[in-house]
Amino acid sequence: MRKRAGASFYIFLSLFIFVIMFPFLWVFLTSIKPTIEIFGGFNWFTSNPTFQSYENAINTRPLFLYMWNSIAISSLTTIIAISVASLAAYSVTRLPIKFKGTILGIVLAAAMFPQIAIISPIFNLIQGLGLRNSYMGLVIPYITISLPLAIWILATFFKKIPFELEESAKLDGATPFQTFRKIIFPLAAPGVFTTAILVFIAAWNEYLFALTINSDDNWRTVPVGLSMYQSQYTIPWGDITAATVIVTIPIVIIVLLFQRRIVAGLTSGSVKE
Amino acid sequence: MGKKKGFQLSESQLGYLMVLPALVLIAAVTLWPVAQSFWNSMFDYRLNDPTRNQTTLSYQIDLETYANNYFYIDRDLSSLEDEAEGTDLQPIVMQVRQDIDTYHEELTTLPEVQEQYEIVDEMVMNFEPVNDRDLRYSHLDNDFAEGYIDLLEDAQDTFTDSIAEIGDGDLESSLSQATATLASVDRSLIRPNFIGLTNYGKYLTDARMWSAMWNTVFFTVVSVFFELTIGLAVALVINRAFIGRGAVRAAVLIPWAIPTAVSAMMWNYLYDGQSGVVAHYFEQLGLISDASVLLSTGSGAMFSIILADVWKTMPYMALLLLAGLQTIPESLYEAAEVDGANKMQQFINVTLPMLKSAILVALLFRTLDAFRVFDLIYVLTGGGPANSTESISVYAYQVLFAQSNFGEGSVLSVIVFLAVALISIVFIKLIGSDLFDGKTGKN
Repeated sequence: MRKRAGASFYIFLSLFIFVIMFPFLWVFLTSIKPTIEIFGGFNWFTSNPTFQSYENAINTRPLFLYMWNSIAISSLTTIIAISVASLAAYSVTRLPIKFKGTILGIVLAAAMFPQIAIISPIFNLIQGLGLRNSYMGLVIPYITISLPLAIWILATFFKKIPFELEESAKLDGATPFQTFRKIIFPLAAPGVFTTAILVFIAAWNEYLFALTINSDDNWRTVPVGLSMYQSQYTIPWGDITAATVIVTIPIVIIVLLFQRRIVAGLTSGSVKE
Repeated sequence: MGKKKGFQLSESQLGYLMVLPALVLIAAVTLWPVAQSFWNSMFDYRLNDPTRNQTTLSYQIDLETYANNYFYIDRDLSSLEDEAEGTDLQPIVMQVRQDIDTYHEELTTLPEVQEQYEIVDEMVMNFEPVNDRDLRYSHLDNDFAEGYIDLLEDAQDTFTDSIAEIGDGDLESSLSQATATLASVDRSLIRPNFIGLTNYGKYLTDARMWSAMWNTVFFTVVSVFFELTIGLAVALVINRAFIGRGAVRAAVLIPWAIPTAVSAMMWNYLYDGQSGVVAHYFEQLGLISDASVLLSTGSGAMFSIILADVWKTMPYMALLLLAGLQTIPESLYEAAEVDGANKMQQFINVTLPMLKSAILVALLFRTLDAFRVFDLIYVLTGGGPANSTESISVYAYQVLFAQSNFGEGSVLSVIVFLAVALISIVFIKLIGSDLFDGKTGKN
């Protein structure tokens, strides 16, 4: 770090954070305004804060059900993706197999596939399996997103674990699977955890599959459910802002708790160390 | 594998076994569906039309419609024969009747149809609807179906021609009655819906497709450009020791982490012509003539979408580039300074080359994400006003699911896929083997 931070730097920084956070700030301020103030004028602060919008947001639509659906679907997706991906990433980075480049190439290509290019066959598949409006109906298509992502990040983390540990385990007579379970996995646990957070967020945010496959209101996820708050004739901004605040809270908590890990995961693929 | 006595796999065998589940899953949920999209795009395939809601290369018969109309054929042709007594038409009608009888006989004794036809016929007699698809439709041998269709169509043509020639009122009405019944029977024989590249021809000359493509390219280029330049500027500025790194990191991560659909809803509110605070301040500042133009005009809506996208992903870009900046050794800058390079020269000759691979990788993933844009546009503008912000993915979604046209929609899917493949190939050529560095094992 060669530059030192001066006063002007902190002013810039505050401005930057303010601009980035402004939409959240304004949405929060709106959510506690009485309806009449939302549609009349642009005062920042209300003198009559109320939770009426929150009550409406919860009562007009099953918001907590959406959140529960999202949690269940994202968790299942994460568990499946991590279990399958950690085997594959371990094999590609540490075992003497051929076609490593090809395998990673396929993984990378799968990560780049546009979802719109596979949505109609996936829709037919899920329909044929009778899984529309169910958790598995979304967990299966989410493998397309989460598995390549998980393999890609895990491969970077697994690569960083020193090979000497593995060699000595081998000398002590451990099978490759034991080495994986007893040596690599505990050492890789932070990387696995980071990957799990990123996969969870990716599944939480998915929109296109959720919109088409789980079209029943009781099976909707947060992004789709929230986008359905606008009705044909009026737009209840109070309800929408309140619902936005509610659904954003879990993400904010995850980010605040795990921000270092998330940054490590995001930058692992793009920066050589 | 944990069992002591069981046979031991060698390391490489175990390795293949461990990648296998991942490869099988990727093949099943990504590669196979893409292949199917290609396949579907060559069919006239519509979910909302029972005669075309499957892709098929062979003829089918709708037994319910067939049984229903065949019942009248014999009656209509007999009365036509009576009416035509003594004219040239009579032998023709007799021939048609015999031929249809022969075909019908053959159809109802086909082993795969016979039993099914009896059940359906029975139901039709009792005025019961046949709702079971498997019961109602049956595949037909292509040669047989084509022969039957030719017969029915020739007969219709002959009868229609005769109507024009004959002035007799009774005969004329019998003729048109018989023609209508023949047409109904004809309709129950369903043609294969393979149409080759016809759908491609339609969409490659479709103005809406090209406008959606242009919107997508414009959105991608402009938003990725601003994300990169602003992100790089921010990364350069905050690449120093300061208090409050945690706050900056959190501020940067939260827009990235919330669902795009949720942020689109937020921006929808901020841009709103009546209650939107961003629209209001922009109007006050004189940036726009009226608060409503942000969402009600084409250029305003495109600007709004790009701003919302830059807001969401620029911080993320800054984060990636900052991580790249921090790996550049201080000694390089010191050496450059000793050589008398000014700040600008240092940036061009040290920072950019060292950042090249980080920038390209970030650009690759951002460009692909931007090109696939769906939720932001779908929620924020719905592609409007008047399709002026419709991206190619949104258009594909509309054709696939709003119009239930899986054949034509798949053409648009394939176009997105090919464009994404092209972008990836160009970037990967630029990045080279760096992309796989540090992943494939010992080196």
